[in-house]
Amino acid sequence: MFAFYKVVRVFDLKIFLYSTSQIIKKYLDKSTSEEVTMKRVAIIGVGNSKFGVRSDATFPEIAFEAIKEALEDAGITQKDIELSVVGTAGNRLYEMYPAPIINEYAGFISKGPIRVEAACASGSAAVFTAYTAIASGCVETAVAIGVEKMCEVDPLASTAVGGRGCYLGEFHMFGTSFTAYYALFAAAHMSKHGTTEEQLAKIAVKNHYYAARNPKAHFQKEVTLETVLKSRVICWPLKLYDCCPISDGAAAVVLASEETVKKLRVEDPIWIEAIGFGSDTGNLARREDYTSLKSARIASEMAYKLAKVGPENIEVAMVHDCFTIAEIMAYEDLGFCGKGEGGKLVDEGETWIGGKIPVNADGGLKAKGHPLGATGCSMIYELTKQLRNEAGGRQVPLKKYVALAHNVGMVGQYCYVTILKR
Amino acid sequence: MSKTPEYPSMKSRTLTLTHDIPISKTKIYWDGLKEGKVHATKCKNCGQAYYPPQLDCPNCLASDVEWIQLFEGKLETFTQVYLKPQGFSHYESNYIIAIAKTTEGVNVMGWLEDMDVTVAHVGMSVKITAKIMPDGFPAVIFKPK
Repeated sequence: MFAFYKVVRVFDLKIFLYSTSQIIKKYLDKSTSEEVTMKRVAIIGVGNSKFGVRSDATFPEIAFEAIKEALEDAGITQKDIELSVVGTAGNRLYEMYPAPIINEYAGFISKGPIRVEAACASGSAAVFTAYTAIASGCVETAVAIGVEKMCEVDPLASTAVGGRGCYLGEFHMFGTSFTAYYALFAAAHMSKHGTTEEQLAKIAVKNHYYAARNPKAHFQKEVTLETVLKSRVICWPLKLYDCCPISDGAAAVVLASEETVKKLRVEDPIWIEAIGFGSDTGNLARREDYTSLKSARIASEMAYKLAKVGPENIEVAMVHDCFTIAEIMAYEDLGFCGKGEGGKLVDEGETWIGGKIPVNADGGLKAKGHPLGATGCSMIYELTKQLRNEAGGRQVPLKKYVALAHNVGMVGQYCYVTILKR
Repeated sequence: MSKTPEYPSMKSRTLTLTHDIPISKTKIYWDGLKEGKVHATKCKNCGQAYYPPQLDCPNCLASDVEWIQLFEGKLETFTQVYLKPQGFSHYESNYIIAIAKTTEGVNVMGWLEDMDVTVAHVGMSVKITAKIMPDGFPAVIFKPK
């Protein structure tokens, strides 16, 4: 009798353990599934100030231009926004605490603000913060505001601020500049992969061509290959026309939950399918390699996986071309071509409209301008216009309506990759 | 100075920021530069090497290091700076910034001297040394081997 009882008990225990393990397994499956943990988030309004030397306006005034356009585009007012996030590098401003100033100027009192900083990727950090606040169910609507004023200070002071990518290990002794940082990558890429100065110049020619078709771009003129190649050296091998200008500008993005999209009856929401993020060392001396940005590879792998797409599915892309070499590395890091084949992709014209993967049809940072904090939001502005077929003379023909933004902070110290779908 | 703005503007008040940067934990490094020596640190607990040198090891959380001197390396990449940032305008030459991989495994940034940028190449061997510049700031210097 006792023996029989023991057998039954063991049998019961086995059933108990089996069913518990099934429950845990189901729970784990649920908790790792995006549908359960993340709400869908859409872009319902975008705005972009004119980029350029904006000596006619202060930073809250240019931020207002972008915010007003974004609110009107969304068909809502400030009272419909629950959270404001301000992305700015901000280290060339006369204000040290810019977010409350913008928040007050634009009528967002008590809606935040959260101020985020990720150098040249501050705009994407703002979008990411707003996105996660909605996706988590914390708020239903949010605005991401990217802004930068760079032209109010002496250009050599601005160069010294930018060159402080890592002060103690680099700038203090060696007088680094942002051009110098990317020039180090250009020289290594040329040495390892045979990339030429002419291939770099072709990026500038393409992006100036599209900027001339974008009324909001800093530069409004096309340039020839010869002009680029003959321009003065800034940091060998990069010349003046390999570099983005020093610009002022702002961009704003209004984000909303799926419920809000339905409630407001938004006709053409653009969905954020995924935002991937990556980072790398502050000291360039601690990098594994000088021909690629590891943070961009990590961020794009993450974004592709979450969005369940691959580079072959992307129909239009905005990539971080602060210098021409940066666009070539972006092609490779994002998987638009193989490692070391970026130069060849330019030669073949595959990144022009009509090519395999049109890149920076808005003129890119290179010619539209790169007001640091504004750039990430401006990429989302442009992709939203593209996905709505509202990009006019620079419209990329789309079939599946899948777009990608790649926004790098410094020399890959930060990277955000965002995938959008209509 | 910057160009006169196109639209009406006014000057802000001047703000001067100069930092007193603590170097008590890395004094061996900064003193070494004065003697022409460049040091890295190596964690005594896990063996991880650090350049720029640091006492705290994020790999194993120990803070006990040995100081190792770096002597030579091979160029990973380089650039010549023509447009110098504020603070470096008084340097007459267009300095060459380079990164070298040392035989100890860490990479070092330095100024490449006695070498034309058109002759310098990735993979080239350099001697790692240091000096105090005429303006009193230290610099890691690479010389062709």
